[in-house]
Amino acid sequence: MNMKKPLGIMLSFLLCIAVFAACSSPAGDNAAGGDSSGELSGTVKTGGSTSVEKVMTALIYQFQEGHQDVVIDYEMNGSGDGIKNTINGLYEIGHSSRELKTDGTEDGLTATPYAIDGIAIVVNKENSVANLTKEQLSGIYTGTISNWSEVGGKDAPITVITREEGSGTRSAFGEIIGIEVKDKPETAIVPAATVSDSTGAVQTAVQQNPNAIGYLSFSDVDTAKVNTVSYEGVKISTDTLKNDTYKLKREFYLLTKTGGELSPAGQAFMDYVLSSDGQNIVADQNLLPI
Amino acid sequence: MSETQSIIAVRKGKSGVERTMNLLFLLCGLTAVVCVVFMTLYMVVAGGPIIAKVGFFDFVFGRTWNPENSQFGIFPMIVSSIAATGGAVLIALPCGVLVAVFLAKLAPDRIAAALRALIDLLAGIPSVVYGLLGAILLVPLIFNLQTALRLPTSGNLLAAMLILVIMILPTIISVSETAIRAVPKEYEDAALALGSTRLQSIFKVSIPAAKSGIVAGIVLGTGRAIGEAMAVIMVAGNAAIMPTLLGPVRLLTTSIPIEWAYSSGTHRDALYGIGLALFVMIMAINTIFRKTLKKGGAFDDG
Repeated sequence: MNMKKPLGIMLSFLLCIAVFAACSSPAGDNAAGGDSSGELSGTVKTGGSTSVEKVMTALIYQFQEGHQDVVIDYEMNGSGDGIKNTINGLYEIGHSSRELKTDGTEDGLTATPYAIDGIAIVVNKENSVANLTKEQLSGIYTGTISNWSEVGGKDAPITVITREEGSGTRSAFGEIIGIEVKDKPETAIVPAATVSDSTGAVQTAVQQNPNAIGYLSFSDVDTAKVNTVSYEGVKISTDTLKNDTYKLKREFYLLTKTGGELSPAGQAFMDYVLSSDGQNIVADQNLLPI
Repeated sequence: MSETQSIIAVRKGKSGVERTMNLLFLLCGLTAVVCVVFMTLYMVVAGGPIIAKVGFFDFVFGRTWNPENSQFGIFPMIVSSIAATGGAVLIALPCGVLVAVFLAKLAPDRIAAALRALIDLLAGIPSVVYGLLGAILLVPLIFNLQTALRLPTSGNLLAAMLILVIMILPTIISVSETAIRAVPKEYEDAALALGSTRLQSIFKVSIPAAKSGIVAGIVLGTGRAIGEAMAVIMVAGNAAIMPTLLGPVRLLTTSIPIEWAYSSGTHRDALYGIGLALFVMIMAINTIFRKTLKKGGAFDDG
């Protein structure tokens, strides 16, 4: 159902092999490379969000093409782990698809945004609803609107599909449409909402279920499977994201320790992601460069 | 020189080997025990603090699961786990026992052999495949029922139950069949001699005599059903609410893999807490069944 994890494992596996190959290459090579051109080498441990997978693997691939002796390791285990492991030093650079919490548990990190991701509202191909306002959307997700006929669709109960608690997409989505506000139980997502635990799972669930509504990262939307719904009258596209008319969007971050020094290779990777080359790759992935 | 070796020397050498092997087996045995002990300790150490912090009562009997908002009630999941497992066993038990009777007593040998091979195959299919079939075939089928009843179409308890039924059937069938076959033929012969029909002898004599074996099948089936997560995630809808037959449900097992990736802080601790609750529940079920099983066995012997 969800191809992301096996792919992730395969990629990590390949990276492991690459690390192994790099380690086992004769020491003379490294020394020669270092002497002649001041080339970077070494492994940069990174990890975190699975939402950034597509763009991050592309960035890493391109960066490594240009720096053959550098390996950027990327463990895909979620923003929560990315943040935690950057704080405790396991990762030099962490990946997060949500903002850092301000409750003191995630202090000591600097979050550098490098891409803006649109959050697409998706419905089944058979669904005729083409536009939803912020009020309608929050009504659907908090359960005050429970039938498609209330928002201009056919007479059928709405199946609300949401991501699991802790997901970066969920918290960004909730924040923008004004639901799941702390200490306001009336804004909680309707308890009977179906929970899908990945972007792919949301897309599959909506594709299968004629009455479903879900939200997922724009870069992952496959319009052959689902329809996107306009938000406040604006259809999601790279153009509407760019000119700031489509308001449902969030940022992707690279996390580093505040005041900490990065390794030369790590610093070079950060610089690359924010460079025009790196930002072009971001744009290629249906994301908006910073 | 070896020709002059005494019998005593050889025996000493042998007992040395014996002792070494004894020690080796003891170590192997201890590994298993140590694993269980450490796992228990770890679960308590990792899951205990959050339960203490939230309060045992609020954790186990709380109705709302909203960990990002510090609400850690797992009661709906406990009830859903019991409902899904209980429902699956209730459906699978009569089916399984009847199939076992057919295989052990009624089916021609060739058909029985073919059926048995197919059932073994069923047991070997990975759970994620069941989940996939459930999500693609079973859930959309139930959508029709939900639509007819004007309910939102979603993954649901019924789908989870049916998937679990298929998953535990092979266990119940094969254990029950073994138990029914183990009933001495004389019992049935005696029943037949007293004028009972073939079916009467099976249902009034063989099945009661095989009772403890059938209970063992239920225990194993329950164990598999309550611990299953992968297949259930794909069909259950995963909403942490009190279960209804056609509404989405979330079991204790499925909560952990669903929320693990993005959880942090107390949220992650709470997932350990769920793990501990599940652990205790499975231990309790095993102990209860073991006790009943022993009683049943004692009854049979007496």
